[in-house]
Amino acid sequence: MKSTDLDRIEVNPKTMPKRTNPLANVFDDLVRFCRSRSMFMLHYCTGCGAIELPPAMTSRFDMERLGIQPMVTPRQADILLITGYVSIKTLKRVILTYEQMGSPKYVIGICSCTVNGGMYWQSYATAKKLDEYMPVDLYIAGCMPRPEAVIEGLQQLMDKIKNDQANSWKQYYENYDYYLGNQQKLFGNNWQTPTDVIGEAEIYRLMGPQTLGEHTKILQQVQKPMEPLEMKL
Amino acid sequence: MSMLDTLLLISLLTVLLTGLGQRVTFIGWIATLLLTAQLLTLLLMGKLGYGGEIIDASFGFSILGQPLNWRYDALSWFFALITIGSALAGSAFAAGAWGDQYRKEGGNPGLLQFSIALNVLAMLLLLGSGDLLSLFIGWELVSWASLLLMVIAGGRASEFGMRYIVYATAGAMAVLAGLAIIFQLTGSFAYDDLAAVAPALNTLQIVTLTLLFFFGFGIKMGLLPFHLWQADAYAETPGPGTAFLGAISSRMGLYAILVVIIQLIGLVRLIEIEIPYSFLSLRDLLMWVAAISIIIPTFIALRQSDARRLLAWHGIGQGGYMLIGLLVLDPYGSAGGLMHVFNHATYQAALFLSVSAVIYRTRTSDLNRLGGLVTRMPLSFLVMLIGIIGLAGIPPMNGFVSKWLVYRSLIIEGMPLLFVASVIGTLGTILSVYKLIHNTFLGQLRLEHEHIREVPLSMTIPMLVLSAIVFITGFMPGLVLDWVGSAQVALGMPQLAHTLGGVESTQGSLDMIWVCSVLFGGFAVGALLFYSGNKAKRVHQLDNYAGGHFLTADVRYHYSDNFYAGLMHHIGSWYRGSFLWLESSLISVVSSLSGGAQLLYNSFHPALYLLMAITLSLYFFIG
Repeated sequence: MKSTDLDRIEVNPKTMPKRTNPLANVFDDLVRFCRSRSMFMLHYCTGCGAIELPPAMTSRFDMERLGIQPMVTPRQADILLITGYVSIKTLKRVILTYEQMGSPKYVIGICSCTVNGGMYWQSYATAKKLDEYMPVDLYIAGCMPRPEAVIEGLQQLMDKIKNDQANSWKQYYENYDYYLGNQQKLFGNNWQTPTDVIGEAEIYRLMGPQTLGEHTKILQQVQKPMEPLEMKL
Repeated sequence: MSMLDTLLLISLLTVLLTGLGQRVTFIGWIATLLLTAQLLTLLLMGKLGYGGEIIDASFGFSILGQPLNWRYDALSWFFALITIGSALAGSAFAAGAWGDQYRKEGGNPGLLQFSIALNVLAMLLLLGSGDLLSLFIGWELVSWASLLLMVIAGGRASEFGMRYIVYATAGAMAVLAGLAIIFQLTGSFAYDDLAAVAPALNTLQIVTLTLLFFFGFGIKMGLLPFHLWQADAYAETPGPGTAFLGAISSRMGLYAILVVIIQLIGLVRLIEIEIPYSFLSLRDLLMWVAAISIIIPTFIALRQSDARRLLAWHGIGQGGYMLIGLLVLDPYGSAGGLMHVFNHATYQAALFLSVSAVIYRTRTSDLNRLGGLVTRMPLSFLVMLIGIIGLAGIPPMNGFVSKWLVYRSLIIEGMPLLFVASVIGTLGTILSVYKLIHNTFLGQLRLEHEHIREVPLSMTIPMLVLSAIVFITGFMPGLVLDWVGSAQVALGMPQLAHTLGGVESTQGSLDMIWVCSVLFGGFAVGALLFYSGNKAKRVHQLDNYAGGHFLTADVRYHYSDNFYAGLMHHIGSWYRGSFLWLESSLISVVSSLSGGAQLLYNSFHPALYLLMAITLSLYFFIG
């Protein structure tokens, strides 16, 4: 994989242009403030970094005072926390879980392993850079980062949400072809998840020039669509 | 000819026509039509429900100098309304597509309609009884008529029916013994004579009479420890039959207890009688029997894995609430108990019909083999949802109102332990109804149920009408409390002052219109948030989170089997089957006694016994 691959990603402008109606601005600010103060976190604990989460969550460091608390299913979660190395087998599950989350969703990679593979750099079975497979909002590096660092990172995420900078979830829809391509390289061309990402991109109005491409063509050939169960009278 | 004559004649006509027209394909609709006519006649007698004059039947008999007569007062009218209503719902449900399928499977829907009609006639006669002798005749008619309904399915149902009739006969003997004692005391079977004599009876007589009647009538209600027969016998009846039986059949026992023990013998006397070496009065003892009849059957229901049995066990448990409320003897309790008869009939019939609809489509009522049907049978789901909210006693359905009244009376009258007992029963109810709806309608839809559809209109309409009644009488309980108030007056109890929305009193107020408005206001806020947000997207049921696993259709991610395993780990050892042991030991005692008697009769001097019997009977008739 060439190092220039990441350049293909079209990054959103840092902030959305401000709306002209001052009331709408206030409303948007309010929504973002509320969103940043109430986050459900799905911690997909894949490695040793998980051990730093219990102290961060419980009374010593108490992340719930920031409005962050654990959630058991991706459908209600806002943050996907990936704590450590991601093996290829695990990565499939991480992607499935990520796609099942409702937008807006934020991904945090904890530990060096999610940044560059860390001590598993030479492993044949480990995905080295998490952000080749899904957009990551924030990395908290360290082996392992202490709870203070975790909380510091979460506070940064909150600030980014408040300032409307945490929009990487949109990149997944806008550059789906790129992410899917990387996934297909790793998992083979038969790779598919139950989630219809392209359909969701249409619903969110996030279809960009990079959403469809050669990789999504392969996907559409192999995909077995799962129709939702309709209410039948 | 009075209205009561008309009602009984139409009922008799229904029995005759359904009996003769067994082979007619549209017999179900004829039965439905005639039951509607009965309901209309009953509604024409509607003044009874608002304090009207007692309606006498113009016919009457005399047996051995004892007159038998029939009349309807507010209490009879109230019970008759429930009887005919639930029969109509069951009959209409069975008339269309359900009956056709039942016929294809070798059943006889005509026979089912006939037995429902017969049960209605027997119950109407019982409810109209104007003296103890006609009460007893009605009682026996009801017992045997319900046996017919129970054994229709054949097979195991016959065994359960036989078990029932053994219990019922024992109960009838107890009632007969009680009647004999009363006849000896008063020389007549008239209600008034007994009521006149009752205050002068001594403690022993009161206790004997109360226990005999309570045993006799309580068996029909399935009161502990005579509860074993009921759930099996009710659950094996074909679909709409269970709805009818579960809704009203065992309430006939409550009616008889009301008339004989509460109205004639008088609860005040029971309160005066202290049980030696205990803090309890005789009334308290009966209340505790009712309380235990709430708890134990409800928790047995929790354990059932068959939807019909689960509901049938609840029928016994809810009977306990009615009895406990009526025994409190204050306006709240008796109103709650009487209202619960109505409420229970409505939601129980709706629930049984909904389960029958599921059986109609899936051919099973096994809670371990169902799931996810909500997308396929949304109307049946709605009916079951409304039904279980009523059964669990949660606003805004009608079951909440009656249970609230019963709880309130227990608190006002200072019976905290009984209150706790009834609340424990409610806990079991909520747990088990959740199991019912979860295992049937929620969770993963099975592959084999992918292609089923909602049941046809002939079945959905009765269900929806019933659930509409469940909601409307919960929203405006004053509609039913009017009738209940008249029934309280007929029983000689203080009447509950009520409004359309519930109760307005210094002892505790309830306004369901207000409660419902707040509740639905909350729903409206939620709906506003939901529909004003982004467009919702439906996903496939296998696009589900299972710890990151990729789900396939052959993976069961919805575990309905061994539901409440954690709870059963803690309370499972309490289900010891002590009552089964009690029943089997009673059976062996009776069978060894009868074996001994047979031995005595067969091997020693049979001729001598025959001679003795003949001499005695000759003496009886001639002397």
